Amino acid sequence: MPLLGPLLRRRPLLPALLVLLAAAIFLADTITNLEIAVAVFYVAVVLIAVRYLDRRGVAIVAAACMALTVLSFFLTRAGSMPAGVVNCAISLVAIAVTAYLALRTAAAEASAREAQAQLAHITRVTMLGELTASIAHELNQPLAAIVLNGNAAQRWLAGGNRDEAGKAAERIVRDAERASELIKRLRGLTRKAAGKAIWLDVNKTVTETLPLVQNEAGRNHAALRTELASGLPQIQVDPVQIQQVILNLTLNALEAVKDESVRDVTVQTSLGKPGEVIIAVRDSGRGLDGVQMDHLFDAFYTTKPDGMGMGLAISRSIVESHGGRIWAEPVVPRGAAFRFSLPAGRTGSRGPDR
Amino acid sequence: MNEPEQIVFVIDDDPAMREALDSLLRSVGLDIRCFGSVAEFLGAPRPDIPSCLVLDVRLPGKSGMDFQKELALSDAPLPVIIMTGHGDIAMSVQAMKTGAVDFLPKPFREQDLLDAIAAALDKDRLRRAQAAELAILRERLATLSDGERSVVVLVVQGRLNKQVAGDLGVSEITVKVRRARAMRKMQAGSLAELIKMAGKLGI
Repeated sequence: MPLLGPLLRRRPLLPALLVLLAAAIFLADTITNLEIAVAVFYVAVVLIAVRYLDRRGVAIVAAACMALTVLSFFLTRAGSMPAGVVNCAISLVAIAVTAYLALRTAAAEASAREAQAQLAHITRVTMLGELTASIAHELNQPLAAIVLNGNAAQRWLAGGNRDEAGKAAERIVRDAERASELIKRLRGLTRKAAGKAIWLDVNKTVTETLPLVQNEAGRNHAALRTELASGLPQIQVDPVQIQQVILNLTLNALEAVKDESVRDVTVQTSLGKPGEVIIAVRDSGRGLDGVQMDHLFDAFYTTKPDGMGMGLAISRSIVESHGGRIWAEPVVPRGAAFRFSLPAGRTGSRGPDR
Repeated sequence: MNEPEQIVFVIDDDPAMREALDSLLRSVGLDIRCFGSVAEFLGAPRPDIPSCLVLDVRLPGKSGMDFQKELALSDAPLPVIIMTGHGDIAMSVQAMKTGAVDFLPKPFREQDLLDAIAAALDKDRLRRAQAAELAILRERLATLSDGERSVVVLVVQGRLNKQVAGDLGVSEITVKVRRARAMRKMQAGSLAELIKMAGKLGI
């Protein structure tokens, strides 16, 4: 069942719980002679369903509850008929209204989430725009001076004034160095990994990161699994940055499987070459067909219609600043795997003991 | 150094830009004075010769755009060329509306700057010539007697001598005499010339 597939994988007990609860209410409603609207309790079933099922699922559950209410009305032998009709009507209305309101609320929450995501995206783009503008301005000064000095040198030479031309040429060299100094400083800004590195358990890092994307996985009805190797050595990294890489790759993978029939994303850890730990994110998505592998990790290269092309570029710069590598491979029979390596200490060691 | 016959002022807070502009403009034989801020420029003496100002937008203290506006409203509006490292369309439109000669985003082609400077210096030369001419005309106008002046006012409105005589309540002969004397004092060779002068003087 496509509806219950992912649900069963994540919370295998839930459907059983719902059925059990509905059955209990049904029995209480049918067997007891209490002149109260026991069937009103079906709203509990609907409310639980809203948390875990999509719109259609909730509608089906609500309809089933209403059907049970009517059924138990006809099965009930004893009791006053008018009271029974009123109770039944109250229950039906309560279930219907609850389902309607709950679905409305869920839809509003979803659109709020979407708006938030969009806002975050816009903020990122704006920040990037401002950064670019200020970099452009800083670089423009020396560039403009270089151009003018070049022009001046040509004119001085044409007029036979070698002395002035030489001075202009000296200024060209000086300003070019100033421009490249600026670029160097900018690079320094983006590479600040060194200071915050600590020794870390790879598997723990992965398991602490994945709950952050669990919601997204649920929304895409994807199964998020881990295959963690035991006895891995520790790595010396900035935990926040490495988590960011794992998050980036996992979110990409979840997006890749969104419209597929098989929606599996697996995060693996394993031992690579000696002194190396490998973290991999594998998906069952469309794969890497038509992707320019050489440019996959370049800034502003993207295969997504609304992508910025920054995620993989940032991931690469983080991994490389930690002394590791990042690469992508196709997966047989379908999908892609993004792997990155990180330098590690000795196997089984608890830290940088020597 | 000989007294220059024209001069280019530059205000840019970046020393490298100032040096480059200084070298470029000297290489084409222009006289140039560079300043790091508006305050520095205002503190320096300004010779009374045709000149223009090459102005950077982003400056410490008063911004280039604000200073350009102030200059445009002053009684000696120095022609301004704006240059900027982060110009946008809105900014350039504003600059041109306030009367900038040109708006150059950095880095720019040297020829664009030199052309703009030439245009700006021409503009200032023309303005100075017009101002000088006006000053002379004012001087001449001041030598006219009240009677001569009122005759000129009516004549340039197209009134005939006879009508002027009637308007002022004097004889036609008197009008003719005053008119001839006024023409001589104003150094106007013809009525048409007198009318043009009156237009420049605003009478």
